[in-house]
Amino acid sequence: MAADATSTPSAASNNAAAISVAEQLEQLGAARKLVLETPTYYDRIVKGVLPIIGPTAPLALRRWGAEFLAESLATPVLAMRDKENITVAVLDTLRGLLDGAAEDAIVLKACVAAAASAYPVALRWIIHNSYHTESWEQMSAIKSRILRIWDGAPTPVRLSCIKFAQRVVLAQTASNGMEQKYGGLDISLNMIPANHPILDPRQLEAEATGLLDRMLGVLQDNSSDALLVDATLNCLSILTRTRPNTSNRILNTVLNFNPLKLANSPMTPKTKVLIRSLEKTTRMFLTHLLRRDPNNPLSGRIQQYVERLMRSRAEIFDEAGRKRALADQAAASYGDAKRQKVEASAPLFSIPPLGPGPHTLAGVFTLTDNLGLQAFDVAQLPANLTAMVSVRTLASLDEKILDLAVSGIRDRLTSLYAAGAAAAAAAQPAVINAATAPLGVEEEDDDYEPDLTPAEDTEQILNKLDNAPPEEPMEPAVDASAALALGPFTLPPPLTLDAEVATKLCQTAAARLFWPLSTLKESGAVRKPKAGINRLAASSYDRDSWLTLVTRLATRSTAGLDGGDGGPGSGIKSEQEAVLDRAARVSLGDSIREMLFTYILEDWRRRIEIAVAWLCEEWYNDQLTKRNNSGGELHYEKCALRLVDGFLSYITAQDKVLTRFLAEIPELSRPLLGKLKGLCADPTTVQLALTSLLYLVMMRPPVREIALDTVAEIWTEHEDARPLAAKYLVKWRPGFVESQTQGSGSGAPPANTAIAT
Amino acid sequence: MEAANGNAGSAATAQNGQQEAESGFRLKFCTVCASNQNRSMEGHLRLAQANYPVISFGTGSLVRLPGPTITQPNVYKFNETSYDSIYRELEAKDPRLYRANGLLNMLGRNRVIKWGPERWQDWQVGMPRVKHETDQGSVGMEAGVPDIVITCEERCWDAVVDDLLNRGSPLNRPVHVINIDIKDNHQDASIGGRAIVDLADSLNKAALEEREKVGAAVFDAGGAASRANFDERVPEVLGEWQERWPGLPSTWTLSWF
Repeated sequence: MAADATSTPSAASNNAAAISVAEQLEQLGAARKLVLETPTYYDRIVKGVLPIIGPTAPLALRRWGAEFLAESLATPVLAMRDKENITVAVLDTLRGLLDGAAEDAIVLKACVAAAASAYPVALRWIIHNSYHTESWEQMSAIKSRILRIWDGAPTPVRLSCIKFAQRVVLAQTASNGMEQKYGGLDISLNMIPANHPILDPRQLEAEATGLLDRMLGVLQDNSSDALLVDATLNCLSILTRTRPNTSNRILNTVLNFNPLKLANSPMTPKTKVLIRSLEKTTRMFLTHLLRRDPNNPLSGRIQQYVERLMRSRAEIFDEAGRKRALADQAAASYGDAKRQKVEASAPLFSIPPLGPGPHTLAGVFTLTDNLGLQAFDVAQLPANLTAMVSVRTLASLDEKILDLAVSGIRDRLTSLYAAGAAAAAAAQPAVINAATAPLGVEEEDDDYEPDLTPAEDTEQILNKLDNAPPEEPMEPAVDASAALALGPFTLPPPLTLDAEVATKLCQTAAARLFWPLSTLKESGAVRKPKAGINRLAASSYDRDSWLTLVTRLATRSTAGLDGGDGGPGSGIKSEQEAVLDRAARVSLGDSIREMLFTYILEDWRRRIEIAVAWLCEEWYNDQLTKRNNSGGELHYEKCALRLVDGFLSYITAQDKVLTRFLAEIPELSRPLLGKLKGLCADPTTVQLALTSLLYLVMMRPPVREIALDTVAEIWTEHEDARPLAAKYLVKWRPGFVESQTQGSGSGAPPANTAIAT
Repeated sequence: MEAANGNAGSAATAQNGQQEAESGFRLKFCTVCASNQNRSMEGHLRLAQANYPVISFGTGSLVRLPGPTITQPNVYKFNETSYDSIYRELEAKDPRLYRANGLLNMLGRNRVIKWGPERWQDWQVGMPRVKHETDQGSVGMEAGVPDIVITCEERCWDAVVDDLLNRGSPLNRPVHVINIDIKDNHQDASIGGRAIVDLADSLNKAALEEREKVGAAVFDAGGAASRANFDERVPEVLGEWQERWPGLPSTWTLSWF
């Protein structure tokens, strides 16, 4: 403290005055802190300090006061009404400070800033309180004073003047209502009624236009004073966005401004900063507008301007850019200390050659040094898991590492082979144990082609691993080497199939046919109409295609093989019959039929199409069988009856699919239609049954007679169904009902009634 | 109230006050980076240690910190998460990893500077920051309006300038927005922190000179341009600073709060 006092002798010499000023500053500082903490004191404190900071006060106090006024009039914590109170109260002091003939620049700068905040508030005040002309007169005086000192003032004051002018323009032009409602930004010409006693909107707007021109002058002059240009550009955005009348004027001026004019002058550090600032600020302003208002009619021009600007800047700073690029490259080549590349330093593992002595086959293929891993028996894992792990590993494995491993193993085998050959020359070849002999090692080695793709190498390794015997040491070295050296491998003969196993396998195979159905997609509804008669059965790989395949496998795959006795296919057949017990056998086709039947009945309403398709295939196959006279089994009638039986028990009155099913399947028989009679026992399904039959009568002439016979039978057997059946019979078989009723006297009807009830 | 303050006045404090009014003038700073964690907080700490009033912000949408892999960052909300809670969470997750990559060290530093990361776009300029007394650099920042904003990355500068254009400058207060490109790692942040303090000292010196000189001189409507003032000297000071720190490219503009 003492050192401070001595180091500033001027302050010490002016002791008497300094103490009072310093004291006051301290008090004022405390007061400011108080209002910051408790904004409700603003009104009292601002009014309280006014006498202390007036035009006659010492400079330090005037500076403090002007900055405090600027801060208080701008603070966002006060509501508009509080702001109005304070604003009206400070105008007099503000005017006094601004009028000071030789005022300090810092005081002026803060006072103009305070006036900028005060202006819209004062305008709003006078709009609503036109009687209070005094405050508006003061505000007008402040305005004209500021506009007068604007041009000749030091730069910091001019900055504030630009901002003041911007606030005047903002307040005195028509708004589009897009601005935020705070800080008085929303005060605009819209608020001034046309018949206001003091304010004339047209005059105010004209003044605003003039001020905007004056603001834009700095851009029109293509000034290189970055400070003024930046300050102007950075306060134009809200005008352009929210005051439509100013938008074109501003944009045209900015688009004609060349921020890179300075580039022609010698490049000092300061000019570099200035050029960059002018260019970047202009670009930010324009891109900001582009982003906020992409539909602006001028956006095309703005876009072009921005692109041109970026190109020019790139040219100007080209040299610097290139230097930087080089520096970056250098940095990259030395590596970033924080982000070291892991790949480069990844250690490539080495494969130690096998030592002398006996080795297990697993030992030959073991690459890891980890004892725990070496002891691990992969055979413990379920096969599907192993497969998954292998596939994943192979997919992500680095090719180089795989090559390294393969060649390492090859070297080991070569050395083993060499050792084995030497031993074999010395010793008697041992008996080869087919179960433990390595698979095709010799051929493997001889046939090895370096050009093989890694995938094949991988497969070879996997095959070998798969066939690796459980880990147990092989026979003594001689045996091992002999085994390695010799032994063409023959596949063990397949197990003979007995009928039971074959049947089971058939069923499994059939079941697997149905697995994909749950995951396959429904065929697109779009392409269905196009297919028509030219469609290919199974070319789209969707569910329909798969079902076509399934139905054909069921009907045709083994047709003629497991068919009846004798016929052209008897050569194969008799062989099979020698092996299989025909009685116990269920053919593959029948297994598939069984599953297809179950599959359709699971959701028969939606799968009726599949049923039709299946029956078509059965029918077609039966026709082929008949034509060949092979005497094979016929399936169509059986399957159709079974299906109808299957879903008739679930049918309800709404199931029109029955009609469709009967109409679409290729052949109808009496027994099949006879099934419909059962429906007539239930009054709710009578209509469905009869309508379906009527449809057949009308639309399928070949079966008309059978269908009518069925209707007649229904008429005879089910009394409840008589009215409807009679209606159809009258039309399609005239005379039938009459002939029956005529004979009714004879006693047949009672019998019928008995059946019906 | 005035009476109470009057009692507090004494010769000693008065001299101290005079001292502050003249040579104790300090520009108020604001540092900005993406997440308000590394670069802006390094700058915040250094400026606070150099006795500058300072606040700091991030311009990102969320606070993002590196995680176990590049695709698993640790993400937090601005203004709602404290440095301390992030510290404790990461320490619980994987103390070795986060100690090794310097995150815990950084968060440990940050939590003694201020409560948590703040987002620039959510900051209401001019709201008194009287509740931040425990923050480092809070002294002098009570009014919540800095003179200089220093961003640490070009896109943060863009975000700040664009945001200021968007706000519509209701406070009518000029602000110098300066970008210094600092790579987002601990080492470069530390270098950047030193550079920021160097710039702050240079700017403050210019501002102090203005206050002393212009105070003595009188405003002459015609010839005041002969004496350069602070705002005008900013590009010059920045240009000189750039010569001293060629590895940290800078951008500057004068915008409005």
